[in-house]
Amino acid sequence: MSTMTYLQAISSALRDELRADDRVLLMGEDIGVFGGAFKVTDGFVEEFGTDRVMDTPLAEAGIIGTAIGAAVVGMRPVCEMQFADFISCGFDQLVNVAGKMHYRQGLAVPIVVRLPSGGGFSGGPFHSQNPEAWFMHSPGIKVVAPSTASDAKGLLHAAIRDPNPVCYMEHKHLYRRVRGEVPDGVFETPFTARVARAGSDLVVITYGAMVQVALEATEDLDGAAVEVLDLRSLVPLDSDAILDSVTRCSKVVIVDEANSTCAAGAQVAALIAEKGFEDLDGPVVRVSTPDVPIPFSPPLEKAVLPGVDRVKEACRELLAY
Amino acid sequence: MATHMAEPAVPGTAGTTEHLTQEDRVWLLRAMLLMRGLEERAMTLYRQGKVPGSFYDGFGQEAVSAGAAFAMAPEDRLCILHRDLAAHIIRGVTPTRILAQYLGRAAGVTQGRDGNVHFGDRTLGCVGMVSMLPDMMLVATGMAMAFKLRGEKRCAMTWFGDGSTSRGDFHEAMNWAGVQKLPVVFVLENNQYAYSTPLDKQFAVDPVERAAAYGFVGVTVDGNDAEAMFEASREARERAVGGHGPTLIEAVTMRMHGHAAHDDMKYVPKEQVEEWRKRDPIDRQEGRLRSAGVDVEAVRASVAEEIDAATEEALATPMPDPGSVLEGVFCSGEAEPLGDGVARWSGFRS
Amino acid sequence: MSSSRTDTLVDVTMPQMGVSVAEGTIVAWRVEPGDRIAADATICEISTDKIDTEVPAPVSGVVAEILVAVEETVEVGTVLARIATGDLGVPAPPADPDAPAPPADRGAPAPPPGPTNGAPPSGASTGNGHRTASDRRRYSPVVQRIAAEHDIDLSAVEGTGRGGRVRKQDVLAFIESAPEPPMHIESPYRPDPVPAAAAPAPAVAPGGLSRMRRQIGEHMKRSLETAAHCTSWIEVDMSRVEEARIRLGLTALSFVARATIAALREHPALNATLEGEEYTVHQDVNLGIAVSLGGDGLIVPVIQGAHELSVEGIGARVKDLARRARARELSADDVRGGTFTITNPGQYGTIMATPIINQPQVAILDLETVVKRPVVITDADGNDSIAIRSMTILGLSWDHRALDGAMAAQFLATVKRLLEGWTGS
Repeated sequence: MSTMTYLQAISSALRDELRADDRVLLMGEDIGVFGGAFKVTDGFVEEFGTDRVMDTPLAEAGIIGTAIGAAVVGMRPVCEMQFADFISCGFDQLVNVAGKMHYRQGLAVPIVVRLPSGGGFSGGPFHSQNPEAWFMHSPGIKVVAPSTASDAKGLLHAAIRDPNPVCYMEHKHLYRRVRGEVPDGVFETPFTARVARAGSDLVVITYGAMVQVALEATEDLDGAAVEVLDLRSLVPLDSDAILDSVTRCSKVVIVDEANSTCAAGAQVAALIAEKGFEDLDGPVVRVSTPDVPIPFSPPLEKAVLPGVDRVKEACRELLAY
Repeated sequence: MATHMAEPAVPGTAGTTEHLTQEDRVWLLRAMLLMRGLEERAMTLYRQGKVPGSFYDGFGQEAVSAGAAFAMAPEDRLCILHRDLAAHIIRGVTPTRILAQYLGRAAGVTQGRDGNVHFGDRTLGCVGMVSMLPDMMLVATGMAMAFKLRGEKRCAMTWFGDGSTSRGDFHEAMNWAGVQKLPVVFVLENNQYAYSTPLDKQFAVDPVERAAAYGFVGVTVDGNDAEAMFEASREARERAVGGHGPTLIEAVTMRMHGHAAHDDMKYVPKEQVEEWRKRDPIDRQEGRLRSAGVDVEAVRASVAEEIDAATEEALATPMPDPGSVLEGVFCSGEAEPLGDGVARWSGFRS
Repeated sequence: MSSSRTDTLVDVTMPQMGVSVAEGTIVAWRVEPGDRIAADATICEISTDKIDTEVPAPVSGVVAEILVAVEETVEVGTVLARIATGDLGVPAPPADPDAPAPPADRGAPAPPPGPTNGAPPSGASTGNGHRTASDRRRYSPVVQRIAAEHDIDLSAVEGTGRGGRVRKQDVLAFIESAPEPPMHIESPYRPDPVPAAAAPAPAVAPGGLSRMRRQIGEHMKRSLETAAHCTSWIEVDMSRVEEARIRLGLTALSFVARATIAALREHPALNATLEGEEYTVHQDVNLGIAVSLGGDGLIVPVIQGAHELSVEGIGARVKDLARRARARELSADDVRGGTFTITNPGQYGTIMATPIINQPQVAILDLETVVKRPVVITDADGNDSIAIRSMTILGLSWDHRALDGAMAAQFLATVKRLLEGWTGS
């Protein structure tokens, strides 16, 4: 075990994989000599060279499209979008080429796309998004979102070793704020949910940065035993774990940092309505970002992103229901 | 209209190459005859209501895929476009599987998951195209990138149309391949129309001239001459595996049918079609072989027989089982990379 | 709306018991001014053209005044009484768009205090169009499910949620505090919980008996202790039944059951239950059939409404119940409400038994093996001869507390007559 930040855990997984497997190749804008916009690959070029830590042209479709090509001839490319927001430029390659490949012709596309996502630091409308639901809606792409340092490493190892396209949502806000014990060496975290805190009165279902928010908001809620379920994986979605929590707690608050409509949490709510109805003791409550672009100015951004107070309030209301 | 690039090469001996044996030249004819025959048969089945969906063909463009694919080695990798059936035939996909593919049968290459020429046999080193053109330019570029990183003497080839040159992926792939000097061959299939849009609404400068701007070679070839296409592709492959970077081959040809079966092509002047009919790539190859003493009728007869047998076989295969429709969205085992294809050119046998 | 603590008066009005009903009469008041009353508890009894009924209190509180006297007839909607409630304040709806949906009764505040004298207001007392809290009491899916599983009347459960809403924890607490429900005495045997396929060895008591075995033992012992058991036998010629049985592909049990049912219709005194001193004769025949579960014991599923079935119908039902019994798929309804039982252990060659009555029924019929025997036959002219016939001995255990020997004998004779003269269904 060693203590590291979420960002160090990501770097550690990448470094371990580059060392362990010649087929692994990092691709992205400014990831080589500069070490990446967030310094995830800082110092990598010195160890692995510019071929395996590749500074690409500024071309997101190019990064994903060429990664697909490299993958189908035996490489294991790990692509970095400088910001998750820029995946829109590579959307077509990911959704239409990578996502449908195995279903159409049995050809596996083992690529990982790292998506530094999320807001909270005045990144504005183009550096703050949480686009994971776009890919949940498109068959053939797995989507994972770690909330702890340990999961950041374990999920990245598992993603790189998965034979499918995987969107790895890494939350920028967690990079240096979350720190934790991480097992040494290579270990794979399964694409399943994790009970971050067990409880029986109410469950907060969430993922990514909102796990920390949920834990803080419900730490002391008038003595209520609040469970926090960290989804970790959005595709596949761990329906069993979700429904188990619903059975146990009967009251559900779902938190998304993403815009509300058709967000991951909307899918969770639909699942509960369909499969968990008999266990509900109140309305399924959602806390999420309203359907507006993420504004730049701090008071505006704070007004839209779900925070501890909003989660706390929602839980209180539902507990009293 | 940019007529200077649409002007067909003069029919005759142009494009013949000392790298082709007589057997090779018959194979080129055979591939083109199979392509035309299979597409005509599929069109008949389409009109009989047996082929679902839309139907696209490459009538008149057979030389582009036949000549280019003929120059590819087993270890090379291909991303083939929908008017390039001859490339699949050369790589080793059987006529029965091709017809089963059109028919949406379980025996088709995609087992009914995708239609018409949207396929690629992964065991033969081919990646099936998607409808967003030219997405596969980037995939081919990525394959070439892997070859270069691993120091392998292989190349990737991809086909795309004149309309594709307007999209960003064309630029991203051309630029990327140029920057990294990758072993990739881009075949720009200039068939005069993107659906109904003529060239002068697509670009202001002949795209072959853009190659220089990206730092590599661009050549214009008579796309209705299979041997000329072979020769340009053979040279491009040598350039690629020799470490001299990509090549853009502009194959000038003509789409002799509508964009798809439902398109009456009323936007194409009749004279233009008549002019191009005289330059039919199969007629040209047959002329060459006849003067070399080959019994062309025998080749035709054997191809026709093969297509009849394949039709019977394909029609006897079952439709896919709806119970399997949810399977295979994800790969659950090991990711297997593409396999090697078949190489027909005698040059690979020496 | 503020949450200040102010008493509010809620009207109790003459309800509309049917679209055509215009007025009602007070039959009795269950409360007096000053009494505390819980929401949904009966406040008074009324009589209308269509129905006599009870009026439940719309809210919990203290009866402030009674405005209509007993025997008085008033129009629908007339205020009958007023209940004072305190602390009915409901918090303001949350401003947060993501906060929980308001509880169903949030929009039903009590009306403001009005004059307590003068003419009653016309129309509904809750003039704002909202129904009162009590008559739109709704329960969440989990609360309804738990209530259904435990057979709980939710109106008896006190709610601690918003606006008195019954929450999951409330219904769980209610179950926790409720006394053990009484055993269903209609059926002596209760199925064990359905075991998983290939269940491990059955739970064995210290003495070596399974739980089911012990239960059967208890019920048997209780029956012997309760009833005054007597057993009567009758010999029956089953030849005609045998012929029909083979033709229809049924077992003798179906025919005996059919004849028994017909005999019970003729002798309803045996289609009865005796509980303590309460002897009840039943119109319908709900026929219990004892089904062996092998080493595990036996169970008595009930063919409800058996009198409506043909012999084939009975055969099909017996088969189905036996299969489900052995697959442990019987529901509680399948073993409830029997009025008479037949037991049939005849397949092993035994010819007589003294069955124990299935409490609280008053008789049980035992069918053993059908065997070929030489019997003396007397023809229409009175000539005797010896013939080979398929014979069986039916045994009837009956409760001497409810019946006498003659009744039992007459019943058996009827069964015999029906079986020997079997003509059809």
